[in-house]
Amino acid sequence: MDLFLHLWVMIFIYTIFAMSLNLEMGYTGLFNFGHVAFFGIGAYVSALLTLHQVPFEFALVAALLAAGLLGFLLSIPSLRLRGDTFGIATLGFGEIIRMVFQNEVWLTKGPMGLPGIPKPVLFSYRFATLPQYLLLTLGFSVLTFLVLRIIIRSPLGRAFKAVREDEVAAVALGKNIFHFRIKSFVIGSVLAGLAGTLWGHYTTFISPGDFTLLETILVLLIVVLGGKGTELGPLVGAVVLIFFQESLRFLRLPAEWSRYLAPLQQMIFGSLLIFLMIYRPEGLLREKGAGR
Amino acid sequence: MTFLLQSIFNGLLAGCIYALFAMGLTLIYGVLNFVNFAHGELIMWGAYFLYLFMESPLGLPLPIALIPALCLTILLGLSMDRFAFKPLRQANRLTLLITALGLSFFLRNGAQLFWGAELRTYGFEIKRGWKIFNISITTNQIAIILTTLVCIAVVYLLLHRSRIGKSMRAVSDNLELARVAGINTRRTIRFAWIMSSSLACIGGILLALDTNLQPGMGMINLVKAFAAILLGGVGNIWGALLGGIVIGFAENLGVLIISTGYKDAIAFGIMVLLLLLKPPILYGSQD
Repeated sequence: MDLFLHLWVMIFIYTIFAMSLNLEMGYTGLFNFGHVAFFGIGAYVSALLTLHQVPFEFALVAALLAAGLLGFLLSIPSLRLRGDTFGIATLGFGEIIRMVFQNEVWLTKGPMGLPGIPKPVLFSYRFATLPQYLLLTLGFSVLTFLVLRIIIRSPLGRAFKAVREDEVAAVALGKNIFHFRIKSFVIGSVLAGLAGTLWGHYTTFISPGDFTLLETILVLLIVVLGGKGTELGPLVGAVVLIFFQESLRFLRLPAEWSRYLAPLQQMIFGSLLIFLMIYRPEGLLREKGAGR
Repeated sequence: MTFLLQSIFNGLLAGCIYALFAMGLTLIYGVLNFVNFAHGELIMWGAYFLYLFMESPLGLPLPIALIPALCLTILLGLSMDRFAFKPLRQANRLTLLITALGLSFFLRNGAQLFWGAELRTYGFEIKRGWKIFNISITTNQIAIILTTLVCIAVVYLLLHRSRIGKSMRAVSDNLELARVAGINTRRTIRFAWIMSSSLACIGGILLALDTNLQPGMGMINLVKAFAAILLGGVGNIWGALLGGIVIGFAENLGVLIISTGYKDAIAFGIMVLLLLLKPPILYGSQD
């Protein structure tokens, strides 16, 4: 039963993470390959603050602001780039943030990581047990879903899609594409920070090794598998992939296998990404009205 | 002063290696018009292939082991194109990039599956270098510089003196026009992959000679190679050469000022700086 609840907590956290990437990649066409950086910032900021006895409410707000601010700063130089150039710039950025976690030992304890992150307390209600935490993550993912739904169906969301589909036409209609890209990127970063915060307080231990390219690939795969630019795609992708990933962990395979199992699992992720792109680039759910 | 000279020398050394990476990356960019995210993995696998032939049970000496290693890397590059990128020639850019990223991840973990995540070396004894102007220079380091010079000469001759090289330049200039002029674009693309993979393999081996082997070595060098091609102008092979050397210098001189933990971040810093100054080549519209 606990395993089941754990699975759903992870699924909801990754759904939020994937929804944030879906806004950037699926709706606005920004190839963010360093999305894990914002997840990491959210986790670290909130963990550090709560470990210093700051109430969770403030820590959460600070984490979201930090992720958003970082997203804003990064977006200024890199959003001028063409798609692939932007992709590689964000990839490098993700690595740099990890280097910061690793090297600023005075703050983050470096590779040792931060243990004992307290469970969140929201309005003097403590989310300590698994069912309670499930409720918290469910609540936040529903909230994220509704916020994104409102954004996507608003004129702002339509402008995002216009930027994705045809930059020239968007410019011709008097849209400042640069502003729309920044908005999308900042909202995406804030939501990734939210997912990271929830994740950090759930596992109660974070270290730089948790925020590698693997996380980016996993969330990218969730978005692509579920269907880019669809409202429910991130949830569908998260259910399938988190189930696959976490169930392997609970199969209780012999310890000496783990040296082979981890790379093997990641090879499966990589090849799944390639196969999807070649044979079913639209994913499981197809975006309404999408060409091709 | 000695320290500074040593840093400059180390910068030249690193620059040579990065130049090889960047030239390979920009060759594919020129012909196929996309950044091959899996280029770093060609670098890494090239270095590991050599390791495979130099270790027991084979235990070949380096110059002989180099030949099968080079062949296998070329094969890897060609099959990358055949199985992942060729089906997507007409696809949009995002599809291509995600494929390349997935491929890179696949290959990196493949290496980890075979060789584990630990650091490895080719097992040469560490020899004391010669002292010239108080800086120490080892035989390996001289070999690195000489190999780079040979590679550059070969690339120059191939691109400017051979028929296939000329058609490659034509294709990267304008694919449609080249096709109309009767250039066999398929053959040209294949040739570009062969050159790119060879450069990656040799560069990877040189890097591993100078430092060590590790499955993660590909990705971080991809970012550096990319910074180098941005610096030199995307698609311009001689610019990439120059950009690589500049990145090498900047890294080794930069650590005189900032902590060595951030050495790998310097290339990224240069990249951001370039983007802020926005030279016109960088921000063409999304095609």
